[in-house]
Amino acid sequence: MKITLSINLGGYSFNIDEDAYAELKRYLKNLELHFAAEESSSEILSDIESRMGDLFRSRLTPYKQVIAMEDVRYAISVLGTPEDISDNETTSAGEKFASRGYHRMYRDPDQRIIGGVCAGMGAYWHIEPWLVRVIFFILAMMGGLGILLYFILWVVIPEAKTTAQKIEMKGEPVNIHNIKDSVKKEFDTVTKKMKL
Amino acid sequence: MDLENTKAQMRKGILEYCILSVLSRNSCYASDIIRELKEARVIVVEGTLYPLLTRQKNAGLLSYRWEESQQGPPRKYYELTAEGREYLADLDRSWEELVESVNLIRSK
Repeated sequence: MKITLSINLGGYSFNIDEDAYAELKRYLKNLELHFAAEESSSEILSDIESRMGDLFRSRLTPYKQVIAMEDVRYAISVLGTPEDISDNETTSAGEKFASRGYHRMYRDPDQRIIGGVCAGMGAYWHIEPWLVRVIFFILAMMGGLGILLYFILWVVIPEAKTTAQKIEMKGEPVNIHNIKDSVKKEFDTVTKKMKL
Repeated sequence: MDLENTKAQMRKGILEYCILSVLSRNSCYASDIIRELKEARVIVVEGTLYPLLTRQKNAGLLSYRWEESQQGPPRKYYELTAEGREYLADLDRSWEELVESVNLIRSK
């Protein structure tokens, strides 16, 4: 026995197995990231979703009424993964997006003690945040300069909120692969925390 | 050099031209364009087509209207605009020039 979910895909309503749903959702999310830099990304996605609806429809019969994992895999093989799609169009926005590789300073909310200023600087220069913290502490002891400086930087440096910003903070190029990696890392951390 | 990559580059260059050529014969649904491109083996995965259609639409080369289909929700029905026809005529000429150039080199 399996739990099924009811979804609306391109105007059709489908019953879909829970595991197939997870796979479908992951695929659509990856496509969304792939097309994120396109001017009309939501339009492209809705076109793809409606095509997916057609493909699913063609797999259903009076005796088979639920979309299963193999149907999702079939649809993905027909439409192609983001990697397949970018193989076919090397100048796609996906790669232009990837090649930018910004390196900017952000405050790091994940490693922060106070405002994430030192953690962000550590990530930016690829040094231990504790080293930065020690320097700030010494400056703070010498007439409070460190404290003033810290608060100014807190105001001036933006916080890394999105996954893309967190990657930029470390100076890695932002592309589908490392967004995937860091989303996965974040997911793992959350799972671990929930288990504790 | 990567053979697969070189082939993909070649296909990529003509894909846009092929889409406009299909639409120049008659207006149709995206699924019809896909069928023709697949028969002619210019696309491998269907996902390649949708960003191109949207870009061509944004560039004013084609337009679409929503058409009721026999079964299921309405679908986009694509057609070339006047600008698209001009653009295609230009591409037709440059394609012929390319074929001529390549033939000339290969026949020597």
